[in-house]
Amino acid sequence: MPPRTIPRLFASLAAALVLSGVFPACSNNPLPEPLQQTREDGSPWKVRYAALPEDPRSLDPQVSYDSVSRRVLEPIQECLLEYHPYKTDPFELTPCLLSGLPERSETADGRIIYRCSLKSGILFHDDACFPGGKGREVVAADVEYAFKRIADPKVECPVLSTLQDYIVGLADAFEEARKAERFDYSKPIPGFVVTGSHTFEIHLKAPYPQLLYWLAMHFTAPVAREAVEFYDGKAHDGVTRDLFRFHPVATGPFQIAEWSRNTRIRLKRNPQYRTTVFPTGGWGADQDALLKPLAGKALPFVDEVCMTIFKESIPIFLLFRQGYLDGMGVGKDAFSSLITPARSLSAKYIERGVTLHRDTEASTFFMAINMEDPVLGKNKKLRQALSAAFDAKSNLDIFFNSVPIVAEQLLPPGLAGHRKDFKNPYGYNLEKAKALLAEAGYPNGRDASGKVLELVLDTTGGSANERMMAEFDQRQFEQLGIKIKIVENPFARLLEKLDEGGFQFATGSGWGADYPDPENFFFLYYSKNVPPAGKNHSRYRNPEFDRLFEQMATMENSPEREKIALQMNNILSEDVPHILNMHRSTFALAQPWAPRVQSNPLLEGGLKYAVLEHGTREQLRSEWNGKPLWPVIVLASGVLAAALIAINARRKH
Amino acid sequence: MFAYLVRRLLFFVPIIFGVMLLTFVLFFVVQSPNATARRVLGQRATPKAIENWLHNRGYDKPLLINQTPGEPWHDSLFLNQMQRLATFDLGASDVTGRPLAEIFREGALPSLLLTVPAFFASLVMSIGLSLYLVFIRNKAVDLAASLLCVMLMSVPVMVYVIFGQFVVAQVLNYFPAFGFQLKGISTVKFLVLPVCLMVVSGLGSEVRLFRALFLEEMGQDYIRTARAKGASTAVVLLRHVLKNGMINLITLLVASLPFLIMGSLLLENFFGIPGLGNVLFSAIQAPDFAVVQASVFLGSLLYLGGLLLTDICYAWADPRIRLQ
Repeated sequence: MPPRTIPRLFASLAAALVLSGVFPACSNNPLPEPLQQTREDGSPWKVRYAALPEDPRSLDPQVSYDSVSRRVLEPIQECLLEYHPYKTDPFELTPCLLSGLPERSETADGRIIYRCSLKSGILFHDDACFPGGKGREVVAADVEYAFKRIADPKVECPVLSTLQDYIVGLADAFEEARKAERFDYSKPIPGFVVTGSHTFEIHLKAPYPQLLYWLAMHFTAPVAREAVEFYDGKAHDGVTRDLFRFHPVATGPFQIAEWSRNTRIRLKRNPQYRTTVFPTGGWGADQDALLKPLAGKALPFVDEVCMTIFKESIPIFLLFRQGYLDGMGVGKDAFSSLITPARSLSAKYIERGVTLHRDTEASTFFMAINMEDPVLGKNKKLRQALSAAFDAKSNLDIFFNSVPIVAEQLLPPGLAGHRKDFKNPYGYNLEKAKALLAEAGYPNGRDASGKVLELVLDTTGGSANERMMAEFDQRQFEQLGIKIKIVENPFARLLEKLDEGGFQFATGSGWGADYPDPENFFFLYYSKNVPPAGKNHSRYRNPEFDRLFEQMATMENSPEREKIALQMNNILSEDVPHILNMHRSTFALAQPWAPRVQSNPLLEGGLKYAVLEHGTREQLRSEWNGKPLWPVIVLASGVLAAALIAINARRKH
Repeated sequence: MFAYLVRRLLFFVPIIFGVMLLTFVLFFVVQSPNATARRVLGQRATPKAIENWLHNRGYDKPLLINQTPGEPWHDSLFLNQMQRLATFDLGASDVTGRPLAEIFREGALPSLLLTVPAFFASLVMSIGLSLYLVFIRNKAVDLAASLLCVMLMSVPVMVYVIFGQFVVAQVLNYFPAFGFQLKGISTVKFLVLPVCLMVVSGLGSEVRLFRALFLEEMGQDYIRTARAKGASTAVVLLRHVLKNGMINLITLLVASLPFLIMGSLLLENFFGIPGLGNVLFSAIQAPDFAVVQASVFLGSLLYLGGLLLTDICYAWADPRIRLQ
C-alpha cells in the first residue's frame, strides 16, 4: 500500500464517522427554546404553537382590520366589551374592560348617550414607555384618546366612515385635521365626554344600538398616549425605536416578547393580567368534562404563544404531523389525506388523538347583480332565472371540498334574523329557471327577435383555479341557452368596478360580519349606501326595504326585530339583487394535547382560553420524531466505498 | 482603467432611470396604489378613506410630470420617488409603514447564509464533476452522467423542495422541515436542507455547461503540448484546462455574485427563511409598490455592479485584456 493511501483511508473513515454522528445529533425541531423552562412554582412553562400566514400589517388597535393582524392583536389588546366564548346562537356581549354593559339614555333632542364605567385597577403592560417601565392604570382619558385617534387622518382608521355617521363631532374633527394637516389632540370631541377618572359618555346623533358591538372591537380600545408618542420609529440616544403599530402597549393577557419579522411572533403572559376569568357556563353538556374544571379560573392558562409565519401550506402540514404545531386549518393541499369522503377525520389521525372541528364564519358570499343595468336591473324574472340556474352546491363540492354551507339567505347562521328552515325560493332548480327565463321574455335564452341574450359576468382572474371557477359559473348560466361573456379582473380592479357600477353581474362579492347584527348585512342593500356613500354594490333601491331597514337598524334585538329581518329577507329573496353562493366554513385540526375550548367565530382564536397538556405533548413528540439509523449507515458505507474505489483506481493508474 | 470605470458608472444613470420608469409604468398598469389602498383598508374602505390613504403616501400626485398650474413640474409621483432613490432614501413600505432600509438590512444576512454556501458548494461540485467527466469523456459513465444532468435540469425546483421536505424532514427526521433561527451554530441545521436542494437543483445545468467549456479547452494545441511534455492528467486538468477555462467561468459567475444578496424567492418561502427573496415575494403578493420599486432599484444596481466586476475580473484573469 503506497504511503499516502493510509492517511486518505483514515480521512475517509473519519468523514464517515462524522457523518454518522452529525445527522442523528441534529434535531428536526424548528421551534425556538421557550422563554422559560419552568414557572416560578416549578411547574412546566406552557407554550402554544400556532401558524400565521404572514406578518401582521399593523398592531395599532385603531388601524388593524385584516384577519392576521387581528389574530395577533386579540390576545394583546383588550376591548371595552367582549363576546362570550360559548354563547353563539345568538351571540352575547359581556363586559371586559368596562365594569358593566353601557347604560343607554336619550336626550330631548333625540341624542343617545351611552354611559360607561371602566373597571378599576386594570394596568397597561409594563413597558419602557412608562416611568420606571411599570404599566399605569387605564383611565377614561385613554379611551378618549383612542376615539380621537379614530378621527386622526394620519392614523387611517378604516371604520371612521361608519362611526362618524353616529358619534357627534367625529366627522368634523377629521375634516379640521385634514385641512390643518395635523390633529389637535387637546381639543375635545363633543361626542365623547370624560365624566370621571373611570367614567365616560358616548354621545350619538341618532339611535345606533350597534355601538355596543363596536365597543367589542379594538378600534375603540383604550390606548396609552405615552406609548404612541414613545414608539415613534425614530432614533433616540442612538437607539431606533419601533413604530407604535409594531409595538402595542395594552392590557391584554399577553404581550409581545419577540417579533422576528417574516419569521415568528412570540407572546408571553402578562403577569399583571386580572381583567377576566374563565366563564362559568354557557357551553353544552358534552363539553362539561373538559370545561367545568376551568370555570372561574384565572386566565390565561398558557405562558407563551409562539406564532410561526408560513407562507406555504405544505410545511404547516409537515410540522403538524411532527407535533410542532398545536393546530392547523385544513387547506386544499392536505385535504385528501386528512379528511374522508364522508367529511370526517381519516382513521390515521383519529388514532393519533387529533380532533376535527368545523368553523363556520359569520359571512355570506354572493354574486352582485347591478340593478342599474338596463337588462338585469329592470327584469326581476330574469334575475330570478339566473339565481335558479346557479347550482351553489355543485360549486362548493367541486371547488371547496363541500366544506362551506350553501347560502339560502343573506344573513349567516348565528345572527338574529337567520332562519334555519328558510329556503331560497330561487335556489337551484333548472326547470324553474328555464320557465322563469321564458316569463322574463327570453324563451330558450332568446329575445323576441330570436337573438341570444348575452350577459357579461365580471370575475376575479389570474389563477388557474379562479379561471376554472369562472368557467363553471359560465356553464351554469349557459344551460339556460343564454351566452355569458367572462371578464377577468384583478381583485382590486373588480372592487373598483363594483364601486363604480361598471358591471352587469359579478362574482367575488361577500361580507364578513364586523358584528353579529342583521344591520351589518342588510346595510349592503340600503339605498343610501349606494357607492360612493357605502357598499350597496348592487345599487338596490327599494323604499319598503329602506323603511324596514331604518326601523330595524335602531331597534334592540327582540322577536319583533327578527320579524322585520325576515320581512327584509323575503324582499331580497324575491327581488334577487344577488345570486347567493355560500357561508364560508373551514375545517381545523387540534392536537390531542391542545383541545379546542372555544368555537366562537367572532373571536380570533381566543388564545386567552387556550389550554395545553405539556406532558402529553412531550411524550408524543418524541414518539413521532424517531430518527432511523439506516440512512446514516448507508451514507457512511457509501463514503468508505467511494474512497476505496478511488484509492484502488489511483494505484492502478 | 479609471476613465473606463467613470464612463461605465455614468452609463448606469440612464439605465437605472429606464428600468425604474419601466417598473413604475408596469406596476401602475398591473396594480395601482388605489388597489393597494383597497386591500389595506379592507371591506369598509370608502372612496374618502382611500383618498386619505393615497394622500398620506403622496400617491395623489400626478404620475410623471406635474402640469398643475402653480406647482413645480417635477413635483410628480415618479420624479419624487427617483429623487429619493438617488439619495438612497428607500422610503417606507406602503402596507406596513416600516422603513425599507431596515427591511433590506434585516433580510440580507439570512439570504446570504442560504445563497453563499450554496453558490460555493455548487461551484466546487460542478467544476469537480465536469472536470472528472472531461477526464472520462465518451465513456459509459460520462454518458450516464450527461443523462442524469438532463434529468436534474428537467425536474422543477418545486419538486425538489417537496421531495426534500418530505423525505429528509418527515421520514428521516434529521433536519427541520421548515424554520429559521439566527442563533450561532444551530442556524446550520436550518440551512442544510435548503442549501443541498439549491445545489442539487442547479447542478445538472452547471455540470453540462462547464463540461462543454472544458471539453473545448481540451481540444486546444497547448493541451497537446502539455501532454507531450509528460504532464499528468491531473496537472493538465487543474493547471491548464481549469485555468484557461476561467475566462468563461468568470463571465458566468462574477455577474451572479452580487445577486446572492437577493436570496432565493422559492426556497426562502418554502423554508421560512426571512431573506430578501421572502420580502420580495410578500411585496408582490401584498402588493407593496414601495418594496417592489426599491427591490428593483437595488437589483438593477447589483446587476450593473456585477457586470462591472466581471470586466475588472477579465483584466485580472487575462493579462491580454486591457480596460479602456
